[in-house]
Amino acid sequence: MSEIIRMVEIMKKYNTYAEEITVLDSLNLAIKEGEFVALMGPSGSGKTTILNLLAGIDNTTSGSIFVGSDEISAMSDGQLAKWRSQHIGFIFQLYNLIPALTAFENVELPLLLTPLNRSERKEHVGTALDIVGLKDRMSYYPRQLSGGQEQRAGIARAIVTDPTILLADEPTGNLDGKSAEEVLLLLEDLNSIFKKTIVMVTHDPNAASRASRVTHLEKGILKEDMTKEDIIMNKNRVIGN
Amino acid sequence: MMKYLPFILKNVFRKKTRSILTISSIILPLILICYLGTFLNLLEQPNAGESRGAYRLVTRHKVGLTNPIPSNYADKVSRLDGVLAVTKFAWFGGIYIDDSARNFFPRISVEPETFLKVFDDASLSKGSVDDWINDPSGCIVGEEIFKKYGWKIGDHIVLKGTIYPVTLQLTIRGVFGVQGGRSDTLFFNRKYLEESLPSFRGKIGTVWTRARDSDAATRLPTQIDELFENSSYPTKTETEKAFQMGFISMLGNVKLLIASMAVIIVSVIVLIASNTIAISARERIREIAVLRTLGFSRLMILSFIVGESLVMSIIGGLLGILVFLMTFKPLKALLAKTPVGGLSFSFTIFPETILLGIIVSTVVGLVSGIFPAIGASRRSIREGLRYIG
Ligand SMILES: Nc1ncnc2c1ncn2[C@@H]1O[C@H](COP(=O)(O)OP(=O)(O)O)[C@@H](O)[C@H]1O
Ligand SMILES: [Mg+2]
Repeated sequence: MSEIIRMVEIMKKYNTYAEEITVLDSLNLAIKEGEFVALMGPSGSGKTTILNLLAGIDNTTSGSIFVGSDEISAMSDGQLAKWRSQHIGFIFQLYNLIPALTAFENVELPLLLTPLNRSERKEHVGTALDIVGLKDRMSYYPRQLSGGQEQRAGIARAIVTDPTILLADEPTGNLDGKSAEEVLLLLEDLNSIFKKTIVMVTHDPNAASRASRVTHLEKGILKEDMTKEDIIMNKNRVIGN
Repeated sequence: MMKYLPFILKNVFRKKTRSILTISSIILPLILICYLGTFLNLLEQPNAGESRGAYRLVTRHKVGLTNPIPSNYADKVSRLDGVLAVTKFAWFGGIYIDDSARNFFPRISVEPETFLKVFDDASLSKGSVDDWINDPSGCIVGEEIFKKYGWKIGDHIVLKGTIYPVTLQLTIRGVFGVQGGRSDTLFFNRKYLEESLPSFRGKIGTVWTRARDSDAATRLPTQIDELFENSSYPTKTETEKAFQMGFISMLGNVKLLIASMAVIIVSVIVLIASNTIAISARERIREIAVLRTLGFSRLMILSFIVGESLVMSIIGGLLGILVFLMTFKPLKALLAKTPVGGLSFSFTIFPETILLGIIVSTVVGLVSGIFPAIGASRRSIREGLRYIG
């Protein structure tokens, strides 16, 4: 399978008042189409930063990011917004549903950016909610849903546009065991049945074990674990300082 | 853009109490704006051809209403081209019953022979002009006060002078009404005053002139004033309408006053509304970052927030205009009973006022929304997502 994501020599620095923090330095990462990658690492190691860079919601200090044939690190802000709406589904640790909107309306949001008409949107939302098992809750507001249900609505919102890549930032971080399990099963299905490429940040080894590949980020350095398919990717092995 | 409207509306009403308060804070000032706009409109229309009194001119002493002018000025004015009729006024005032506000109405000495020629929009509903002319102590009274005091033709009215040391014994000889005008005045024959008070002779307060047409009404004021320019009693002539405006103008530069009030009011609404919008945008920093993660552009975020602001201020504006329309008639009736009552007859719902209301609420919406919107749309997504609010 071909590589769908390529991060090349990524450097990311943050400027605070006092100092400059280098979060990522010469980071390289390649992900193949259809992979389910778990990204682990201690708090503050830069996992969210990597997801944000992949989603095009943050800029690299230097280096290039390719997704498919697009070099997103070269895109303008406006181009990125449009690109995101077509290629990225983002799942948040805190679900981040809009409280004023029902589950249906939350899932419909990304479709407002497409040329789909009302009834087509309704159909797509229906399908997405069906996949996550929330069709009977579509007129519920987030506050009327349990955490697990909120996260599933969040996943429905992420997949409703049928994006190229799903990015999940600690999707089970706030859930109890049972809800977490449901979410993980859902992600596994999305990967195995719907062939979604997934990059999931997690602290939880159990969650990571569902992935086809696990990488550890430590002090700005990526270390590959054994992948399920036992593939060793030499060229994006450890590069650090 | 229509497909985003439900989303915008949901955002507007997510905090119902706050939105209702904000909308109310727009309604009230907007009613005021509409009334101020009506006044401005009135002041901006010095010579609306068809309006009452537009062809009627008032000449008074240049210095002020309380300075008398020679009564022969009336004859001089009457010889000018374009003058149909001229009559003389002198304010008497005095006390009827007592000096309470309840018993106050204007009492003016006039020349009965010419009075109704100048005030051709007034007519007697009871009594006759001849009876009035033939009785030196006769007077005519307006329908309003005639009814209020339950008078009858032939009733006697005693007026105790205040400016003039004389007590008048008047007899009601007629009742007048004015089409669409106020009728709360008592007019009596100035000869009565001249006879009982020799010092009053030869002095009048104002000369009232009925101009032939709008052309004459436009030209005559300057012509009349030029006539007396170098005398010891220079004059100032205006149309009746402008004269009545003059009453309010005495308070100062009314236009400027009204305009600055309007500006202050608008600024206050903008501050209130933009504060609400800013608070609501701040509460949604993270939500906005989520929307942008989903692919909504900065420009769309900006439009949503400005849209919310617009929706609120336009709802407030329309409600304000509605209340204005509903309160207009009762207020007009109230105004008619004040010293500037004459003004109330030209007091109408101008289309410009409604337009002003709509423009003001739209501008308020745009201005109040734009700064919070720019702020919210500029924030980086990363910061927004990390925001704990
Ligand atoms: N806006 C910022 N300014 C300064 N430092 C930041 C900013 N955002 C993130 N960081 C720092 O970057 C590092 C990586 O953050 P993050 O990617 O969120 O870590 P993780 O998701 O692995 O916990 C942390 O040390 C964090 O403090
Ligand atoms: Mg993180």
